[in-house]
Amino acid sequence: MRDTNEHLDKLMQELRRGTLTIGVLSQLYEPQYGYSLVSLLEGKGFPVEAGTLYPLLRRLEKQGLLESQWDTNETRPRKYYLLSESGKLVFDQLVAEWEDMVGNLDNLLKSKGGL
Amino acid sequence: MEIIERYVYAVTQLLPPSQREDIAKELRGLIEDMLDERVQDGEITEKHVEEVLVELGEPRKLANKYRGMKRYLVGPELFDHYVMVLKIALISTSVVIGVSFIISIILDPPSILQSFISFIISLVTGLPMAFGWTTFAFAIIQFAGNTHLKRKELQPKRRWSPSDLPPVPHPKGRVKRGEAITGIIFYIICITVFVFSGDYLGVWLFDAGKFKEVIPFFNEEYYGYYVLFILLIFGFGMIKECLKMIYGRWTMKLVLFTLVVNIISIIGLLFIIAEPNIWNPNFMAQLVDSGLLTAHSETYTTIRSVWEQTTLWLLILFLFALVWDIADGFIRVRKGR
Repeated sequence: MRDTNEHLDKLMQELRRGTLTIGVLSQLYEPQYGYSLVSLLEGKGFPVEAGTLYPLLRRLEKQGLLESQWDTNETRPRKYYLLSESGKLVFDQLVAEWEDMVGNLDNLLKSKGGL
Repeated sequence: MEIIERYVYAVTQLLPPSQREDIAKELRGLIEDMLDERVQDGEITEKHVEEVLVELGEPRKLANKYRGMKRYLVGPELFDHYVMVLKIALISTSVVIGVSFIISIILDPPSILQSFISFIISLVTGLPMAFGWTTFAFAIIQFAGNTHLKRKELQPKRRWSPSDLPPVPHPKGRVKRGEAITGIIFYIICITVFVFSGDYLGVWLFDAGKFKEVIPFFNEEYYGYYVLFILLIFGFGMIKECLKMIYGRWTMKLVLFTLVVNIISIIGLLFIIAEPNIWNPNFMAQLVDSGLLTAHSETYTTIRSVWEQTTLWLLILFLFALVWDIADGFIRVRKGR
């Protein structure tokens, strides 16, 4: 039983990793800084570790999907991230693909064992 | 809090300098945000800080996530070859050094202590040298491979297609593993012998069945000079054998590389030969002194003319071997198609 749990954990990890980017992108039509995004995602039932999210934001910025800006007016400096124009395009396409995938997978799950 | 700075430093230290400052600033902000959320309006204690840092995890792992990809001196694709060549290099170096130790104590039992000391010295310098050069060679192969891959990725939309697959090489076009390994061992033995046991290269003199001395072929004063070129020539030769083993087949590229290496070797050899003083100038006289030869006898004249023409013949032999090496490679590429 412990083995099954371990496998399940691993599989869940992979599943979450795959959906992480789309989840993050979806919340960046408004500028967010890293930790506000952590709380936001957690509040919506999509918990992400800060140690995973921060590097991801940077990577997405490097890929040009996000834009960033330092805000130094508040008590502590914060780096705000926002979807870039190309990021919005990519996100829309991702959503379409995702919906496709969900539909197809649902069909698969309904017909278990090919019945 | 000092421990926060320590954490930030530990993470950013593992990142490229250009990103350090920005990531450090963001990390500090993150840690403060996490602390705020934990304590609300209360006081921040060390325990809180510790909890937060534990939640963020080991600095090394966090830095890895920031870096995204792993970097290697010798990557996983080359690693098996690397370990194998490393084993060969270390084993053959130790064997050569060990054998020359045994020979020296057989030849000259009274100075066993001295032989032992020089044996230890040879091991301590020779093994790291073998390790260092092997690693260096593989790091270069890895680096060259990386830049090649990067350039490929930069090409716009070039898709891989099955027609890119090279044909399975005809058995004649394959590099025999044993051949490459033998080559590597040969080069290592040569290097080790030249570097550590150069004093034994010569005519061995025995007196009543006991070893007396060596009449060296080489001029000891110019030892450093040719050892340098010998290292160069054999070192490149070793890289060539390693590449053969990694590619596993004869390709035009490999032949070209062989060509370049062999041209360098020939130039190195010319440098050695351009210095007539590398040979022991008193070789003939020493032979006569030792009583092995009588001056002006027939044998003396023969040996003398052989000795004087050695350079030329060695050069011709070496040139022939190097040209043959290239021609052979070329033929194998042809046949392998």
